[in-house]
Amino acid sequence: MKEEEKRQALENIELIKELVSQTRREMSYYGGGWISIIWGIFCFVGVGGQRLLNPIGALKGLWWLILTIIGICASYLVARSEIKTQPQNRRHNFMRWFLAFWIPLIILAYVLTLFIIFTPGLTPLYIPIAILLVISTGFIILGFSFSREILFMGIIGFIGTIITAIFFLEYGDIITGTLFGVGLIITGLVINRRWKEQ
Amino acid sequence: MQEHLTIRLDKVIHQKARLGIMSILMVMEETEFNYLKERLKLSDGNLSTHLSTLEKEKYIKIKKKFVKKKPKTLCHLTEKGRQAFLEYMNNLEQIIKSMR
Repeated sequence: MKEEEKRQALENIELIKELVSQTRREMSYYGGGWISIIWGIFCFVGVGGQRLLNPIGALKGLWWLILTIIGICASYLVARSEIKTQPQNRRHNFMRWFLAFWIPLIILAYVLTLFIIFTPGLTPLYIPIAILLVISTGFIILGFSFSREILFMGIIGFIGTIITAIFFLEYGDIITGTLFGVGLIITGLVINRRWKEQ
Repeated sequence: MQEHLTIRLDKVIHQKARLGIMSILMVMEETEFNYLKERLKLSDGNLSTHLSTLEKEKYIKIKKKFVKKKPKTLCHLTEKGRQAFLEYMNNLEQIIKSMR
């Protein structure tokens, strides 16, 4: 009897774990792969644009701002189209999640960007470093909750950004842009393939 | 001692389908009848019976509304339900620990 009770208790815990993690995964999906790909492209376009705008220093901050707004709008539209097939309450949950998680991080990235622009002695080369450190922190937090791929991407991005800032600052935008661009696009493709298979 | 722990398990939750409903609602706060039916692979009648049992205990609330002229049944977990689920989980863990 004791063994039977233990077996049933273990079975129930397994059932709870499975349902909870699967539901969390479903809630976190909502176009996560495509959003990752969008931000990968954002990195390439952002760095490319920054290089082109290099002679016009003041426009750099504006360039990243415009690009981020486009990135947020594109992510929102992708996510919205993905959740059209989901029950109404789940759309609601997504909206809360999206706003509560990414918007504060993006605001933080812009506060840091403005700080770098307006602080004498700080080179604009620190702008992509600051933005990418904030983004990779976001990926690490998400990764702990949802998936190893995102966590791995966040850790690699964070370490890569710090190494670049310390040793290769002059080429920092190209290195981090490529690292994040490729990393985010690959992560997006992996997420799309794995979670759509489930 | 063991018997005592098993008795402490909430009989309303200690049933596979209801445990599934409660687990999903712990994550989603509120969900639709059809979503639960699909996830737990239950028939309409079966799911309705389990939802009624949970509602009677005030573990969940059920509301019906119309979205684009279509009726929708929404279920959400109450605070009493959340507490009962957490206590149930705690008791399950106690049972497993006591048998090691």
